Amino acid sequence: MGRIYLGEFEELVLLVVGVLYENAYAVAITKEITKQSGRPVNVGAVHKSLYRLEKKGMLKSQLGDPESKRGGKRKRLFTITPFGKKALDESMELRVNLRKQIPAPAFNWQIG
Amino acid sequence: MNKKSTIPKVPHAFFKWYCRQERYEELHGDLEELYFERVSQMGLTKAKLHYLLDVIRCCQPYAWKKPKNQTNSNVMMFKNYSKTSFRSLMKNPLSSFINIFGLSVAIGICLVVYAFIEYDYSIDRFHENKDEVYLVTFFADMDGTHQQYGRTPVPLGEMLREDFTHIEKVCRVQNRNVVLKYHDRVFHEQVRYADPEFLEMLTFPLKWGAASSLADPNSIILSEEMSIKYFGGENPVGRDMLMIFGENRSKAFKVTGVAKAFPKAHIIDFGFLINFENLLVSDPDYNPNDWSAFVDATMIQVDNPHDLSHIEQNMEKYKVLQNEVEDDWAISSFAFEQLANLHLRSGNIRNDISYDASSQGRTALPVIALFMLALACFNYINIAIVSAAKRLKEIGVRKVMGANRGRVIAQFLGENIFITFAALMIGLTLAVTIFLPWFIEISQWEMELKLVDRNLWVFLVSLLLFTGIASGIYPAFYISKFGVVKIFKGSVQFGKKNPLTKLFLGIQLMLACILITGAVMFTQNTAYQNARSWGYNQRGALYVSVPDGAAFEQLNAAMLQNPNVLATSGSIHHLGKDITSTVAHRPDRQYEVDQLSVDANYFEVMGLQLTAGRIFNDHHKSDRQAVVVNELLVKNLALGDPIGQLLEIDSTKYEIIGVVSDFHIYNFYYELLPTIFKVADNNNYRYMSMRVRSGSEKETYEAMQVQWARLFPELPFQGGHQEDVWGIFFEEVGTQETFMRTVAIIAVLLAGLGLYGLVTLNVTGRVREFSIRKVLGAGLKNIAANITKQYVILSAAALIAGAPASYILIKSLIGLLYPDPVPMGYTSVAIAVLILVLVLLAVISTQVRKVSKSNPVAGLKVE
Repeated sequence: MGRIYLGEFEELVLLVVGVLYENAYAVAITKEITKQSGRPVNVGAVHKSLYRLEKKGMLKSQLGDPESKRGGKRKRLFTITPFGKKALDESMELRVNLRKQIPAPAFNWQIG
Repeated sequence: MNKKSTIPKVPHAFFKWYCRQERYEELHGDLEELYFERVSQMGLTKAKLHYLLDVIRCCQPYAWKKPKNQTNSNVMMFKNYSKTSFRSLMKNPLSSFINIFGLSVAIGICLVVYAFIEYDYSIDRFHENKDEVYLVTFFADMDGTHQQYGRTPVPLGEMLREDFTHIEKVCRVQNRNVVLKYHDRVFHEQVRYADPEFLEMLTFPLKWGAASSLADPNSIILSEEMSIKYFGGENPVGRDMLMIFGENRSKAFKVTGVAKAFPKAHIIDFGFLINFENLLVSDPDYNPNDWSAFVDATMIQVDNPHDLSHIEQNMEKYKVLQNEVEDDWAISSFAFEQLANLHLRSGNIRNDISYDASSQGRTALPVIALFMLALACFNYINIAIVSAAKRLKEIGVRKVMGANRGRVIAQFLGENIFITFAALMIGLTLAVTIFLPWFIEISQWEMELKLVDRNLWVFLVSLLLFTGIASGIYPAFYISKFGVVKIFKGSVQFGKKNPLTKLFLGIQLMLACILITGAVMFTQNTAYQNARSWGYNQRGALYVSVPDGAAFEQLNAAMLQNPNVLATSGSIHHLGKDITSTVAHRPDRQYEVDQLSVDANYFEVMGLQLTAGRIFNDHHKSDRQAVVVNELLVKNLALGDPIGQLLEIDSTKYEIIGVVSDFHIYNFYYELLPTIFKVADNNNYRYMSMRVRSGSEKETYEAMQVQWARLFPELPFQGGHQEDVWGIFFEEVGTQETFMRTVAIIAVLLAGLGLYGLVTLNVTGRVREFSIRKVLGAGLKNIAANITKQYVILSAAALIAGAPASYILIKSLIGLLYPDPVPMGYTSVAIAVLILVLVLLAVISTQVRKVSKSNPVAGLKVE
């Protein structure tokens, strides 16, 4: 069994869901990603990833309370599942592992 | 948060439409939150735009509604249908190509015809008041026929305006030829004298200036084209132009308006518009109260069409007024023609301001389009029936699996509509990129295929359904009929003996035969029209229009010095350029005749053939009471021995002194009319014509231009070779030939392709039979005879029926186009039959060759 697959953007979304903890819904996630990574993200892409991650079982969700700034509509709040955490950890671990394996001379550029 | 900033309706509706119910709340909540935030951050417009973008971005599978029953067998079935259809298309690339290509070409042609009809129908219908504006016309009895005329007595317009309150607006229009000058730009032009209502009744929006300025007699309004001709791209409003009406009469006009470019589909237009009252300035003889004079057009605008009959009834008094002074064109009744339909009716109206340029196309083109579509459909039907043999097992399996007949029919029809759809797309591309530009180039009709036109799409969809169903319905029913058991037993007798296949092939051959005959006929006709005598010698003759008799004398003297000039002549009218109509009275009745005023040399210069009597004497003042007539006049008036007989014209008696053989004043589209020649007053000469040494035409023409520039530097030169006076006539004849040829080539191609496909499939289906024949010792001859046999009788029958049909149809078509077409021989039909027989033989021989070369073992091997 290979490792759990996580796309780069999906990983980002997953992380931010964790960061925002109790207030992780699409708009907030979009803003957070934009703020932290500095790249423009649209809400559609975030939706897509959220639903995919939920389908994969890495996120679970419930509906929050209606809010007037949303035209009286409820929002869907996401939280990370243990499986999501495992996926994140594995992905992190893999990265760190690989990073460690790079021999020092590979970064030893000659200047000039 | 701004209270007014509600969610934009249209994107919201779209979102609601695609979004699945259970996710709508959360998703749209997000979008709303973002939207309201953006409204306060960057304003309403930008927020709306972003919202729209978001809605579009969210339109992804995660948000879509789920199909109600995704696992329904219907869906699976349709997937399977499309898969098998696609596979069978790919399996027989040849027949698929023939089908799709044939249909595309036919549809392409249909689209061109659609563009033409659309163009023809929309001519002069862009006017806002097209249904309220009417042209006043009248009927008069002439040569025993009741003829409608589009011009009106001069005072009528004013009287209508005063006498009827129902008439909203009245506009008189008169065209005159003038010379127009702006700095060094001097040209002969036609200007339109019109009442200020012209621009109110007709919709010609202005690019610059004001339409109301037409009320000012010193204003001139230009068309965009003319504005560019004189002033380039700049705004000419405020500039002065000098208009020269005739000897010593001219007037300066101030440009006060330039019209926007006219819509392409128009006939009534103008180059220059000036106030109608200017007629008083330009023409000393113009009398607004003269009931015997005519103005080119009088248009009225009536809000309620029911008033027309009332107006018509009360026009009796005008009739009386007119009949008192004018008995040549005595009005018998008035009639009104609606602007919207004017050009369609214009073929029956003489001297009206519109004309009907496309009547030929109106009949011929739809027929041709139908022919092509029929050819392609028949191809499809035939190939579908024969190739169904390969899909019998599929049908059998489907039926076993529970498909009923209706479902099989639906499958095949659907498949067919899909193929037609592909063909439609290719056909549309073909039409827009190849056919239409080509057709516009040869026909000069400024058609266009507007892709954002509702009618076009309605037409496309109906064409799709019609073609798809017409070509698919029979194969679908035919194929779905077979019983399952029969199919699997292999006892279905197929294709070979289907009488309908044969009938369709026969009809195809007939259609192709008709079209080829047409192409040959039109080719012959072009040669015939080119070689046909004009009734005079147009070669080696030059003409130039002169302002008056004095100018004629000057130019004449100069040109006679030129050794290449054999003879010269002065005239008021000129063959092919200008004539006038008048009425000749005989004691028993009156006749409308064409009249030319010429001098004594004219007959020699133009090469008119004298058949009896004499021509005018070469002295001024003599023969003032004499006329020379053409043979048709002698025949129509049944004069017996015409010399010495009298004709009364404008209350003066003229003696006929000579007869010339018939000649064509205008091109061959126009019928010959009885014509008379009178002696011209040499002060009024408007044309100088000359006969030049043959071979020196070009040289002399250039010499004449040089002389003109020397003598009249102020006046633009307006002359030409007599051979060119019919202008576009020969171009048009050539166009018809090119068009018919192309159509015929496409028809042969389609019929040939269909035949090829049919024969190929047939031979492939009988490969085992032929292999056995070969094994048993059949030679090439035997096999060839076997393949050919079934087509020979059919083709012979089709061609025997097709040949007379082609003869009759093409004869009537060409008779419709030309009053005097090339005499129809049997050669054209013979050539058509020959071409078809050759195509048939070529197609069959390729298959015979294939069979004779094939290895019988390969044909007999069973997996």
